[in-house]
Amino acid sequence: MSAQRLISNRTFQQTVSNSDYTWEYEYYEIGPVSFEGLKAHKYSIVIGFWVGLAVFVIFMFFVLTLLTKTGAPHQDNIESSEKRFRMNSFVSDFGKPLDPDKVFSRQGNEESRSLFHCYINEVGHSDRAKAGHQTTAIDSAAQLQEAIRGSRRAEEELNRLMKFDIPNFVNTDQNSFGEDDLLISEPPIVLENKPVSQTSHKDLD
Amino acid sequence: MKHIIHSNGNLNDTVRNNSDCPHVALPEEIFFVISIAGILENLIILLAVIKNKNLQSPMYFFICSLAISDMLGSLYKIVENVLIMFRNMGYLKPHGSFETTADDIIDTMFILSLLGSIFSLLAIAVDRYITIFHALQYHSIVTMCRTIVILAIIWIFCIGSGIAMVIFSHHVPTVLTFASLFPLMLVFILCLYVHMFLLARSHARNISTLPRANMRGAITLTILLGVFIFCWAPFILHVLLMTFCPRNPYCTCYMSLFQVNGMLIMCNAVIDPFIYAFRSPELRGAFRRMMSYS
Repeated sequence: MSAQRLISNRTFQQTVSNSDYTWEYEYYEIGPVSFEGLKAHKYSIVIGFWVGLAVFVIFMFFVLTLLTKTGAPHQDNIESSEKRFRMNSFVSDFGKPLDPDKVFSRQGNEESRSLFHCYINEVGHSDRAKAGHQTTAIDSAAQLQEAIRGSRRAEEELNRLMKFDIPNFVNTDQNSFGEDDLLISEPPIVLENKPVSQTSHKDLD
Repeated sequence: MKHIIHSNGNLNDTVRNNSDCPHVALPEEIFFVISIAGILENLIILLAVIKNKNLQSPMYFFICSLAISDMLGSLYKIVENVLIMFRNMGYLKPHGSFETTADDIIDTMFILSLLGSIFSLLAIAVDRYITIFHALQYHSIVTMCRTIVILAIIWIFCIGSGIAMVIFSHHVPTVLTFASLFPLMLVFILCLYVHMFLLARSHARNISTLPRANMRGAITLTILLGVFIFCWAPFILHVLLMTFCPRNPYCTCYMSLFQVNGMLIMCNAVIDPFIYAFRSPELRGAFRRMMSYS
């Protein structure tokens, strides 16, 4: 009963020419399908498809899990250091509540600090020009704050700002804010457009 | 695509053996419940975004686009079931012009919903990718104006493709195009998310976060992509089998599960809000405010 559709017996006529025979698509009466002489089980495609799909998803999950344990250290170093340089430049530019010492403590030495100062002027100006207005820099500082986790102060501010952000799963542990949240949830940049800009306006004035 | 979507109607005339694969028929009530749940959920999301000014950002617009396509899919199912009920009660003729036109329109709605879903998911993935990898220039790359333009382009393209696919549904290239969109999008979205995941992992490693966080990221990614795959792949395979081996007994047995496959697509419309929209605490807060006022 419920298998019947609206147009159950419909045939679609398409007369191509005025000749004696006409095209007719009778795609509802396919005709009886013989089930004789089947070598494998008749539901083999169904079973094979679903098993294959499950195996693929589980395989994908294991690949992702393995990536968390091993992965590409080369790409790791380049990417993380590059992003750290860019992010850190904006922190210093701003003179934001983040303690620059704590920012730079992760790098360690004076050399890198001077390198940052050089880089700061480059990146700061170019990115400011690109951004055009203040909120971009403010938002980048917001993202920066959440990237730098070493300092307790950053973490406190982070917790304050991150209450807008989402843990994907119920997050009862304050310290388990991970990058995966940034990955899957919406970015703090977008969320904290208003609150951060309000905060930083207060700070800058 | 009409012949594929509606081909399982005629069971009266075919002679079936006992060893045949009988069509698995789900009660209409299940379809109604799932479709109405899908429509309500996605409507809530749309209302929340429309009423709250702070939710009117590009990311939420992409989530709204996904909600609209899910709503269209559920609406398609409801309208189709209503039309079938009318036909069974004798109010509609089987071959009338009104029925044919109505059939064409709802088929277009269905394909529009599928294509809209695919492109919305793609847009959400690209938006998140830009957020992470071009964080500093995000606001200059993804402006509201560009978001609206991109969404308009996506929907115009989907409407045009939907109409074209319904008109040319009998040709094999149409079916191949339709069926190949799915794996292409899947691979692309997979690459985007894996790249984002790698960056997240590299940051986490420097910060000595708990490995639990990375495991959670892997689980979340698997859920996102797994739901996408599980809900759509059965129907896409059905389309392919229908085109290339309609008389093969193995293919026929697979196609006898057509209603289950269709129901999975409806379930996708119900599950998507939970894995995309309701992840956001802002949207959840807006939803709670709406509920408390009403």
